[in-house]
Amino acid sequence: MKVLSIAVNTFRENLRDKLLYNLLIFALLMIGSSLILMRLTLGEFHRLILDIGLGSINFFGVLIAIFVGIGLVSKEIEKKTIYTIVSKPVARYQFLLGKYLGLSLTLLINTAIMAAGLLAVLSFQDVPIHAVLFKALGMIVLEFMVITAVALLFSTFSSATLSAILTLAIYVIGHLTKDLKAFGQKMEGVGRSVLEGMYYILPNLDRFNLKGNVTHQLDVPAGDLLMIAAYGMAYTAFLLTLASVIFQRRDFR
Amino acid sequence: MGICRWYGCSRLCGRCLLVDSRSLLVITCPADWRQSAGPRTFSQVIFMSVTLSPEIRPHVFSKLFSYIRQGAITLLIFGLLALVTSLQQNLDRRSDGQVAKIEQLAQLPGGEYLKPALLGYHHLGADLLWLRLLQVWGKKKNTNNEYEWMYHALDVITTLDPRYAYAYYVGGVALANYANRPDLSNSLLEKGHHSNPSEWNLPFLLGYNYYFALGDAIKGAEYIGRAARTPGAPDFLPGLATRMHAEAGNPDVALQFLEALWKENPDLVVREKLETRAKEVLIERDLRILERAIAQYHNDHHAFPLSLTDLVSRKYLERLPEEPFGGNYLFDAKTGRVTSSTHPTRLKVFRLDLEGGV
Repeated sequence: MKVLSIAVNTFRENLRDKLLYNLLIFALLMIGSSLILMRLTLGEFHRLILDIGLGSINFFGVLIAIFVGIGLVSKEIEKKTIYTIVSKPVARYQFLLGKYLGLSLTLLINTAIMAAGLLAVLSFQDVPIHAVLFKALGMIVLEFMVITAVALLFSTFSSATLSAILTLAIYVIGHLTKDLKAFGQKMEGVGRSVLEGMYYILPNLDRFNLKGNVTHQLDVPAGDLLMIAAYGMAYTAFLLTLASVIFQRRDFR
Repeated sequence: MGICRWYGCSRLCGRCLLVDSRSLLVITCPADWRQSAGPRTFSQVIFMSVTLSPEIRPHVFSKLFSYIRQGAITLLIFGLLALVTSLQQNLDRRSDGQVAKIEQLAQLPGGEYLKPALLGYHHLGADLLWLRLLQVWGKKKNTNNEYEWMYHALDVITTLDPRYAYAYYVGGVALANYANRPDLSNSLLEKGHHSNPSEWNLPFLLGYNYYFALGDAIKGAEYIGRAARTPGAPDFLPGLATRMHAEAGNPDVALQFLEALWKENPDLVVREKLETRAKEVLIERDLRILERAIAQYHNDHHAFPLSLTDLVSRKYLERLPEEPFGGNYLFDAKTGRVTSSTHPTRLKVFRLDLEGGV
């Protein structure tokens, strides 16, 4: 109950954030712009709409996750509003979880709005809509959830700017972990185990990328989807637990 | 308490002073506004402000000044925008945009390096590169170097998205027909065929390149056979493939092949090229008919005819074939050789004496 009320409050607070609306409007403009770019291309103009649409949803969603996510805890500490919450009978992990769920809800609704924009453009252009599009959107939301957890983790122990930089770095590395593993396999001894260890500790965000499958209408087996979803959830749980442990020891001054 | 001399209103309800900056024209009490027309034009407003009572005058003046200031700021913004636009145009003129665009294609990093840098947005990257490539391709004639760069760009695009079948196909057609580079076309198509075994038109086009451009009918027939075995391939392909195997080098088979490709390509320039090629094959067919008749004539009379019309008058041919390009067929009575006046050299595919020919 306490978690839920914090989540709802966070959601309300997010709705007042101007950044959110700016990014949302940009994303919708990008999706709409595919209609103009479409006239310049030759051949498969459907794929242009899908690629730009899904790309914008993903990119702007990640920006929202990072730049709203980093402020979740640090803003409360800066404004000293955290004292009013911590002094109440609310465990710190409950506070974190509430914050996290609130932003996740915001992101879910945001993605729904952007997806509605994409679907409107698609149906306006009579593009057939396949089930794999919704699967890809689901995976995009999952990626947002992991990134939000990363941002939350960093914001429990560092300043907002530093958290933003670190989260962006994790986002970039998260898409390159495949190379990390490949490098590791070419090494021997300690180097190899260090790189492989990093490969497993860092999130493999490429797993959540099904945008290409939508473009080429390649379905993903349900078993694979479930595994990816389980991976996302487990990784999020790992990050949140870590964040709670750090936040528990945090001294607010 | 002053009196508005313009309307003679002594109430000064406050609305006069609290007018919003955009409604300077309504400096009057609402009640009076309804009765009289009130000031409408700018000069009327200025006149009004002069005749207003001294208490109200500063307010109206400050309003007026704020208008002038806003106008000046708006003008300044538009002026700066115009300046930026003209500077930008000037800069564009200094560097030739078209050249820069094509040369940029050559500088594209390889697909295998670009792909990880795009952080999962590589399909979108392929789309944007494809868009840029198309803008360059609009030129009617490109240099040989430029075709190499375009091939590089196509290679990058298809590395970013190996399943972009349309890019392989269009790139393959263009490199073979516009650029006359069947080697580049083939290596692009081979790459596409390898990653998209379910696309029949990639091996089909490979077959075309081998058959016509490289004069390797056997290999051409092999690729057409592969295309024919792909699910979803059109019905005429299996028949074409078998005939190509059996009668490699037969102009009638070649004409069927060209017709099939013509149907698959809506591009007008490509269609024009295919029509030209079909006419060349027609010349080859006519030459073969003429050669056969001349050989028969030589057999019967132990001498070559004096002219081609002799073949018709002595009933070796029903009529002389028309040269499809509007020229005519030339006959050398001494050697017995026939040639076309527009295309003196014969097609490579049908020449036995050339390496790789049939």
